[in-house]
Amino acid sequence: MADARPTIFVVDDDASVRDAISNLLEAVGLRAKLFASTEEFWKAPRPNGPSCLVLDVRLPGVSGLEFQEQLAKANLSIPIIFITAHGDVPMTSRAMKAGAIEFLMKPFQKEDLLAAVHHGLDRDRIRREEQAEVSILQSRVEQLTSREREVMDLVVTGLINKQIGAQLGLSEVTVKIHRSRVMQKMEAASLADLVRMSDKLKPRPRR
Amino acid sequence: MQTDVLPEGPIRSLIRHCGFTLLFVMAAFVPTLLLQRLFPYPFLFLFFGAVMASAWFGGTAAGLFAVLLSTVLVEYFFVPPFYSFSISTTAEAYFAAFVACALAASWVSSAKKKSEVALKEALDQLEVRVSERTAELMKTQTELAHLSQVLSMGELTSSIAHEINQPLTAVVTHGHACIEWLSASPPNLEKTRQTVERIIQDGTRAGAVLSRIRALVKKEAPAKTWLDVNEVIHELTTFLRDEAVRRGIAIRTDLVPGLPKVKADRVQLQQVLLNLMMNGMDAMAETTNFPKELLISARANEADVMVRVEDTGVGLNAETAEKVFQPFFTTKPHGIGMGLSISRSIVEAHEGRLWATPRSSGGAIFEFTLPVRPRDSDG
Repeated sequence: MADARPTIFVVDDDASVRDAISNLLEAVGLRAKLFASTEEFWKAPRPNGPSCLVLDVRLPGVSGLEFQEQLAKANLSIPIIFITAHGDVPMTSRAMKAGAIEFLMKPFQKEDLLAAVHHGLDRDRIRREEQAEVSILQSRVEQLTSREREVMDLVVTGLINKQIGAQLGLSEVTVKIHRSRVMQKMEAASLADLVRMSDKLKPRPRR
Repeated sequence: MQTDVLPEGPIRSLIRHCGFTLLFVMAAFVPTLLLQRLFPYPFLFLFFGAVMASAWFGGTAAGLFAVLLSTVLVEYFFVPPFYSFSISTTAEAYFAAFVACALAASWVSSAKKKSEVALKEALDQLEVRVSERTAELMKTQTELAHLSQVLSMGELTSSIAHEINQPLTAVVTHGHACIEWLSASPPNLEKTRQTVERIIQDGTRAGAVLSRIRALVKKEAPAKTWLDVNEVIHELTTFLRDEAVRRGIAIRTDLVPGLPKVKADRVQLQQVLLNLMMNGMDAMAETTNFPKELLISARANEADVMVRVEDTGVGLNAETAEKVFQPFFTTKPHGIGMGLSISRSIVEAHEGRLWATPRSSGGAIFEFTLPVRPRDSDG
């Protein structure tokens, strides 16, 4: 995962702007993948690794803002940096509310673009790490028996073994055994650790 | 004979008129002399003709001269006693009546001639004034057309700004990249060179956008040249593409390749097309139930090239289809209502026609024709 090179996707219908962004990114050692339209972006394979999207607001067919919505619906949480020739306030605030990293006015300065790109990549990296952790946790949870899962759910709410036993109709000793199996299978070092894991598993991280 | 007075002195003119008068009077005298043998009474009507003809062609003086000549001749030859200058008492009244009639004929004829000449002059003057006014009107129309062109360009400001901003963005970004390539160690000169080449390309492109805009608003006297309609359509669709994208409209073209050229003023033709396309796009502002689409097609008929601009906008009914061409008719909140009226007069000045029809599945169709000169006369 760590060795995966970051990729910056650039969607702009203007070839010369596309080329220029790619040239700048290449000059600072970043890899860019260029697309003339959102359709091209959908069709292309997306390499596994941190990435972000530099998106022109004004595109033929689907606009940049609409594309942002489509990506969100498709659960493709890729950080977006908008570029536009004339962004008005409502447009900007709509994009930012929907989670855009930055809204840059053309022509933009190198520092602004690169800062936004790095910010986007960092955010994506964190998200990917979290996601990777979640998927590991999920695979651990899958190893639990249904009884162990019930016990775990009650343990993380802060109940003591006695209370759990009463709720599930089990003896305190049996609860204790289930509990230690849970700790073992989940690879949790402490109760606090287990609570944290359960928190991560519960709400789907949405960004 | 106002128009006949070519370089000719007054003396020559006088001699010529006298000559004509003599000729006319002789032309009356000789037949009268011959006819006198057949009729018991002198047949003097031909002299009136001579007098009238002389007055007509030579004016009042020639008329009076003809009267004098005729009087002398009639008195000598045809008033009893014949072949003498004396007058018998019975013939006095008769002779006096002749002289009076001849004078009257001369007067009537020259007066008629004068009024005729005056009328002709007035007509000439009128013609001159009409052509002056027409020229003035044409000039005003050209100015108005230019104004409306500039106005519609005004509506396109944001689109124009975008057109220039794109290459500018590329230039600035490449500039930054250039610095990066140079500050690498060792400096990447190959990449630097490539980047500078791109900068030149993009700068040139920005310049081309500007000159295209300048050509659209250029104010110059209309000049008709042989134009490829497809080319003009292509230029404008390129120009309006961005504006269309901004408004969520798809511009499609359906052009038959190799259309015969038409003789037209490029700027005016651009103006008509720009106007029709902008109208079509405006008409689709409220469109929600159809895809917003502007279709421009061109094809050749037998004697003309027909261009059609279709939109899927609010559309028209049979009544408004003609009204839209009236000056100051507008449905736009900030329109001046001159666009279509000007467009129609431009097309008509090119001997073509411009009309509108409702589109069957919603929207409007505007079509115009431009005549094609037959191939053989094409130099």
